[in-house]
Amino acid sequence: MTRPDIHALCGAYAVDAVDDLERAAFDRHLADCEACAAEVAEYRETATRLAEGTWAVPPPRMREQVLTRAAATPQVSAADRRRSAPSPVTRWRRIAVAAAAVGVLGLGAAATSYAALEQRLDAERIAMAAAQQRRDVMTAPDAALRAGDLAGGGRVTVVVSDLEDNGVVILNDAPPPGPDRVYQFWLVPDDGGSPVSAGLLRADQNGAIELIQGVSRGVVFAVSLEPAGGSPLPSTTPLVGISLV
Amino acid sequence: MTGPDLSPRGASRRGVSPGAAEVSLAAPQPERVVIDDLLRSVARGDDAAFSRLYDLIAPRVFGLARRVLRDPAQAEEMAQEVLVEVWRTAARFDSERGSGLSWVLTIAHRRSVDRVRSEQASADRMQRVGAASMHVPYDEVADQVGTRLERQQVRRCMEGLTALQREAITLAYYGGHTYREVATLLDAALPTVKTRMRDGLIRLRDCLSVEVAR
Repeated sequence: MTRPDIHALCGAYAVDAVDDLERAAFDRHLADCEACAAEVAEYRETATRLAEGTWAVPPPRMREQVLTRAAATPQVSAADRRRSAPSPVTRWRRIAVAAAAVGVLGLGAAATSYAALEQRLDAERIAMAAAQQRRDVMTAPDAALRAGDLAGGGRVTVVVSDLEDNGVVILNDAPPPGPDRVYQFWLVPDDGGSPVSAGLLRADQNGAIELIQGVSRGVVFAVSLEPAGGSPLPSTTPLVGISLV
Repeated sequence: MTGPDLSPRGASRRGVSPGAAEVSLAAPQPERVVIDDLLRSVARGDDAAFSRLYDLIAPRVFGLARRVLRDPAQAEEMAQEVLVEVWRTAARFDSERGSGLSWVLTIAHRRSVDRVRSEQASADRMQRVGAASMHVPYDEVADQVGTRLERQQVRRCMEGLTALQREAITLAYYGGHTYREVATLLDAALPTVKTRMRDGLIRLRDCLSVEVAR
């Protein structure tokens, strides 16, 4: 997959089977895609029919309570309908706040840092194909940025995109790994299984931008120092663990 | 709840033969039209219209919340919130983007799903509820009378889906799971689940002859 097919998310979006970041990304997409808006509207009507089967008589007291509460609740004016049109912006702001609270930066931050990352990519002269894949991740509409500090120094940043099912790891300012040691990346699967290697740096390498594939299979991204040549399983305490969910 | 709102619905539905679809599509669905009209009145602050609207939508909002939240007390609280929100934001309803009922139930579903997700860590919830929700039939809630035909038709159309389509949509819509959780629960690839949700909805849409009036 070279391009994220955001249309594939139409169905999941219409039944609220997306997370907040995907919802925000898709809201943005909908604003520019009349066909998608029509498609989603149809799925929502369809979902409404699914809801019909759940019909249930509410407790009788609820009626009076709702009518009383409504009587005390001011309504938004029809003029607000115009203002409600750019609701993705509002939604983004809300999500940015929510995301910041849990240490996750959304697409805005990822987009801002993209230029800087791009320069680094060139500087590292990494193969074009891999660079394109990383670019796809970083420009994906659902790109989310997570970061953490390594015990012993350095910082690792992970940009993940579920649409791409890939991630990009940026390791900065880490101390040299030391003789016969290397930094190794891990994905810890969400099914309780063993960590899976997600990449191995060279013996003298203490900074990197690497693609990690299949991020959806992992819930935590971790970095450890391993003997030269890497390990099949982590043999030392991880220096950092970053939740990907 | 008085009768007149329920009876025309069943009557206006087409029969079970898909070939009869054209006929019923041409006919309006009175209750939906009524809901749209009531919403427009509510948007102008008409509280009498709101109490009539309540009678039409409260059982649906409450039923959906109860289905997703799996707890009558929480569902009652959620339904109250949603219904007051309908009163508050009725001016935002735009009939060109879909029916009023769909607008209401979209709010109800999203809020219920948000609630159920914020309640527990998803892993915990998946363990507790995940396996169970796959086996809950979609017509489990059975204390309604007026929607029997509707339920039969929905069930027939659900049975027309592939197992993966049906399970993905059931887990997402009734269970409140993200497609990522669904992929884990069904042990299927993410892109597959996204695709199955979409083509399952397309098939349901066609089977139920859903269309958005424009």
